[in-house]
Parts: sequence; structure tokens; C-alpha cells
Amino acid sequence: MSDEMREIIEDFIIETQEIIDGLDEKFVELEKDRSNQALLNEIFRSVHTIKGAAGFLGFDQIVELTHATENVLKKLRDGIMEATPEIMDVILQAVDILKKLLEHVKNQDNQREDLSDIIARLTAIESGGLAEKKSEEETAGASMSEETVPSDETPQTPSDEAPHRVETPQGPLAAEPATQDRNREPQPQKESIHVEQTIRVDVERLDTVLNLVGELVLGRNRLMKITSNLESRYADDSEVLSLSETMAFLNLITSDLQMAVMRTRMQPVKKVFNKFPRMVRDLARSRNKEVELLITGEDTEVDKSVIENIADPLVHLIRNAIDHGIEAKDERIKKGKPPKGTLRLSASQEGNNIVIEVEDDGRGIDVEAVKRKALEKGLVTEDQINSVSDKEALEYIFLPGFSTAQQVSDISGRGVGMDVVKTNLANLNGVIDVITEQDRGTRFVIKLPLTLAIIQTLMVEVQGETYAIPLATVIETVKIGKDEIKTIDTQEVIQLRGEIVPILRLARLFSISDDGNKERCYIVVVNAEDKKFGIVVDRLKGQEEVVIKAVEGEIINFKDSSVIAGATITGDGKVVLIIDVAMMLQFVTASEVAYV
Amino acid sequence: MFNPDMRILVVDDFSTMRKIVKNVLKQLGYSNIEEAENGAEALKKLRAKKFDFVVSDWNMPNMDGLEMLKTIRSDSELKDLPVLMVTAEAEKDKVIAAIKAGVNNYIVKPFTAETLKQKMEQIYQKLYKN
Repeated sequence: MSDEMREIIEDFIIETQEIIDGLDEKFVELEKDRSNQALLNEIFRSVHTIKGAAGFLGFDQIVELTHATENVLKKLRDGIMEATPEIMDVILQAVDILKKLLEHVKNQDNQREDLSDIIARLTAIESGGLAEKKSEEETAGASMSEETVPSDETPQTPSDEAPHRVETPQGPLAAEPATQDRNREPQPQKESIHVEQTIRVDVERLDTVLNLVGELVLGRNRLMKITSNLESRYADDSEVLSLSETMAFLNLITSDLQMAVMRTRMQPVKKVFNKFPRMVRDLARSRNKEVELLITGEDTEVDKSVIENIADPLVHLIRNAIDHGIEAKDERIKKGKPPKGTLRLSASQEGNNIVIEVEDDGRGIDVEAVKRKALEKGLVTEDQINSVSDKEALEYIFLPGFSTAQQVSDISGRGVGMDVVKTNLANLNGVIDVITEQDRGTRFVIKLPLTLAIIQTLMVEVQGETYAIPLATVIETVKIGKDEIKTIDTQEVIQLRGEIVPILRLARLFSISDDGNKERCYIVVVNAEDKKFGIVVDRLKGQEEVVIKAVEGEIINFKDSSVIAGATITGDGKVVLIIDVAMMLQFVTASEVAYV
Repeated sequence: MFNPDMRILVVDDFSTMRKIVKNVLKQLGYSNIEEAENGAEALKKLRAKKFDFVVSDWNMPNMDGLEMLKTIRSDSELKDLPVLMVTAEAEKDKVIAAIKAGVNNYIVKPFTAETLKQKMEQIYQKLYKN
């Protein structure tokens, strides 16, 4: 196959996928407003467009399917039939099969689908259903076709089909008022479609640019530090003054550049959100529940990596909400609630974070049941559930092993627990919180940083070495004396406002020589996967925003380098390792802590 | 037949389709091809540079093929521009409207290079051999 053909097919795959993605949303919109002409026309055009290109490229199954679907859509668009839920179900099914066909094209697996059933149903709808409103145009159409337009069977006969330019309508054309009426042009789109100028760019190229900007930021930080040193040393030097001014300018520009480059990778969350209306509709229908999905903030932009990884957690949360949260119509009515459940999905930006919320007005999470379950599964002890607050008990749902086959319904669960949701989000440096009220509903709040590459850190010093701890994980810092450190079962702990917090000595973890007997030290209390523990350091050095760079090669002299998230170069020009707080957890409950 | 160097404008809102049509034209030896996403963009390009031929789809947002054609025919500079309309086989009604508006010819998709050649030949004959 020629390169050109390959390129054309790749384009076809991308564009058809885009069209299909848009279709799901349009269908759900349509259910709310069945006679929306503009929408019906858009849907028709989408299917028609796919058919056109598929025809050229020889994807005969796609042509066959879109052709049958298009015929039904045409009748809907022209108002000859009404878009009932039954008809919509069939069309949605056709779109699902279309997705599969596109997959086969993508994978070049030459697999074929059995279209006989869906085609039969589409054809049945098209020919059955309501009687045609006007039947006289059929004959009018026939006579016209002989004169100027060739019939369907032989569209390509060369000689007599070329109509020449005519200024005035000829005889047979003028005599077709009925035809004109029936074939009224679909209304022009009332809403002007915003045509964007876009360029397709290889993600690799963008990553290169992002990387270079990262380096630039590090260099800028260095320059800022040096300039600041010069300023204090040569305050009166005019050259130094000029340097300061130029650095201030450079600083602004670099920050702007950083922001701008980050934005090139950002896309509106609607890319992820737009498949949910359909999913909610299907799920609700299959569970015999009525659910309305309200989406806000879909234009909020997030990094591409978030788009790629947020879908699974959200799907899980939404499925849970519909499966377990929202009650059946009868139960809701009995409780005095509106029969239709509401599921709210929202996205917004708060400072450097993206906040995504999934909220339902269902039955809420039964905290006592959660406690019992956690106890049953041996994830917590009797003492713990008795002493813990409701809020903390709720967090048990995120414990690994909490949800099992028992709880799994055929749609949600599948052994995927909330702990997986939490892990997925942690991979994006994100966190999740849950709020619930009995019979009022449940709300999950997800917070993700705007971009993965740049983070705020707390710089700490251990035995003269500087390390960076992601600020997002830090809850607080405390200064303690040596005697406040106790040991329970070989795990060192401290008592913080009545709470026992295990601690880890950074020095010992990294096998750095440590006299371990300093009188006073600092504890950085962090939160990782909702477990609290403290990291023992010698000094706190302040906050700094850094660009994370991956560390290549092996890090020697560290007992377990999995706790290194990456490295960065600080304004001082030093290489600083960034701690992966979540990974440190594995050492907290271990009975042996690494010694030098 | 048309000069192989003539400048052709391919109009369609689906980028894959534009590439396909371009590809077929190339097979016929035409390489001076430009693209437009819709009628509005097409007119902008037609008015900015001299084009010798237009191949256009019909259904596009921001001015469809029919509107574009009418505008071309009523523009003193562009009125004689050959326009070939690309249509699907079930769009007879559109063909009639197009004829009335002054389209030179129409071609049904999917089409082969051979068919396109014949259609262009027909347009040429009607224009220059009268």
C-alpha cells in the first residue's frame, strides 16, 4: 500500500473516531428533544460523511452499515418518522457495531462482523413504521430521473448524464412542485459552528518542547539565584542593576512560556465527559432506574495525560453511583425524593489543581456497614473501628481488598475496587475524598495537579544532603525532641495530638550514615494513600517549585531506589532527589527498617 | 482536456475526503491542488488567487456547496469557474438544485479515477467545444 494511502486511512480512522465520539453525545441530547431537526441533521450528516469516505477506501462493511443507518436517519430528519426510544436503541446499537468495525480497520486484523441482524432491524424500521407522508412524489421522482438524472443502477454511464448549465428551469424540472416540497433542504444550522484552526502535531514533538522548557526553567532558576547573590554583593553596580532588570523580564517570559507550553498539551475534559451521557443512559435503563446526568465545567482544560487516565476512575465512580447509590424509582418516591435520580459530574480549576466531582442524590454510604465490612475482611481491628471518626471510617472503602466478588454486580465492580481508583489517581499525583449523608447522597471530590512535570516541593536536609518532598503530600511539620520518639514493635512512632504516627528516618532508608542521636529533629508529616506517617529530617529548607526530571541509570548507595520519584536541579545548582512518598509506605509497616 | 497545471480547489469539511479526492486528481496528473473546509473558506481562496477548477462536496457547515455555487455564479470575476459537485447516489434532489444554480457536472461517490476523468472531459467539451 502506498504511503499516501496509508496516510489517508490513518486520517480516516482519526476523523471517523472523532465523529463517532460526537455521535454518542448527540444521541443522548436527542432523547431529550426528539424532534430537534438540527440535531437529527447533524447526526445524519455524520453517518453520511463516514459512508462517503469508507466507500472510497473499500471498507464495505462500514459502507453497508452506515448506509442502512443513514436511511433510517434520513426518515427521522425529514420528519417522516419519530425518534422513539426503541428506534434510538437500534441506531445506538448500529453505532456500537460501527465502533467495532473501525477497530478492525485500526488493527488491520481483517476481521468481519455479522451485520445481518442489525441491517435487518434497520431495514425493518425504515420500511415498517409509519406510512410515508407523501407517496405521489415517488412517481414524480421516477419521471424526472429518466429525463435528467440517471437511475441508481447506472450512475456512471458517461454519455447522456451530464447536465449542462441552465439558467432557467426546464420543462420537467418546473413541473415538480410536490417533489420540491418533500425534498425541502434541511434547515441551515441555526447555531454557527465555530470552525477552529488546528494543526495535528506529533505528541513526541510536544514532549520535546516541554522538556526543553523544563530545562529552561531550571536554568532560569539558577540565574535568579546567582543574580540575587550578585545583588547582595554588588548592590551599587550599574551592570548588576541591569542584570536584575533583565532577569525580572526573563523570569516573567519564562513563566509565560511554561504556561503556554503546558497549555498546548491541555484539552477540555469534555473529551472524557462526552461518553458519559450515553453510558449513564444505558446503565440506568438496564438497571431500571431513572437517572439524569448533569455535567458542568466540561470546557475546563487538563493535561493530555489526565485525559488519558481519568476515564477509568470516573467510569467506576459513575457506575457505583448508579448501581449502589441511586435508588429505584419506588424507593425514591417512598422516601419523598423525586423519582428521577440526579448524577452531577463537574470539573473546575482551583489554583494549580483541577477539581472533578461526582455527586449523586442517592442513598448515601452506610458508614456502619463499611466499618463492619472492613472488620470482616480483617482490614482493621475492633479497637480501630471503635475509636475512629465517621469521616475516617469512610476512608476504609479505599483500602485494598475492601470490595470483593461478593459486592460485584455484573456492571460495576468486576473486582475493581475503590483502591484501584485511588491508585490510578495517585499515579496522576491526585487525591480523592468522599463525603456522604444517609439518604441524601454521596460526593466524591478528586483533585489533580494541572501538570505532572512541575511540582511544589518542600526542601529538607538530611546529613547535609538535600531532598525534595512533594508539597501536595505534606500535611504538617513538627519539631520534636529525641525522647519523644517511641518504638512499637520495632516501628518508631511519635504521638501527635493523641494520634500515633509512625515515622521513618530518611537517613536510614537511604543508608546514609546517621548518628541517629540528634537531640532535636523535624518530622514532616505526610499523607500517602491516606496513610499518615512522618519523615524524620535534620532541617527544613523551605518551599521550591521544581521541574521533575526522570532519573536514568541506577542510583547506587540507596537501599531501595523505588522511593525516588525523580530528580531536579535547584536554584543553587544542586541535584536534588525527589522522594516518592507513596513508595515509602512499604517501609512503614515493615518490621525491619533498613539500617546502615 | 484541461491543462494538467491548472489550479484546482477541493472543498469538503471532512479532511479525509479532501485527501481522497486530491489523491484521485493526482492519479489523473493534476498536482496543483488546494483545499478548503467549507463554502466560506473556499470563496476566500477563490477571490484571493486565480483558480481554474472547483471540486466540491455539498453538505458543509459555514456555507454549503449550493450557496457557494450560487455566490460563484453571481460574482463577476468567478462566474465562469467550472464547478464539479460531489454527491452521494441518493441525492437526486440536490443535483437538480445544483443544475438550476449552474453546476457544470456532478459525480457520485465513491468514484474511480476513470470516472472523474470522464466527468472532467464532459465539462471541458461543453465549455470549449461549443
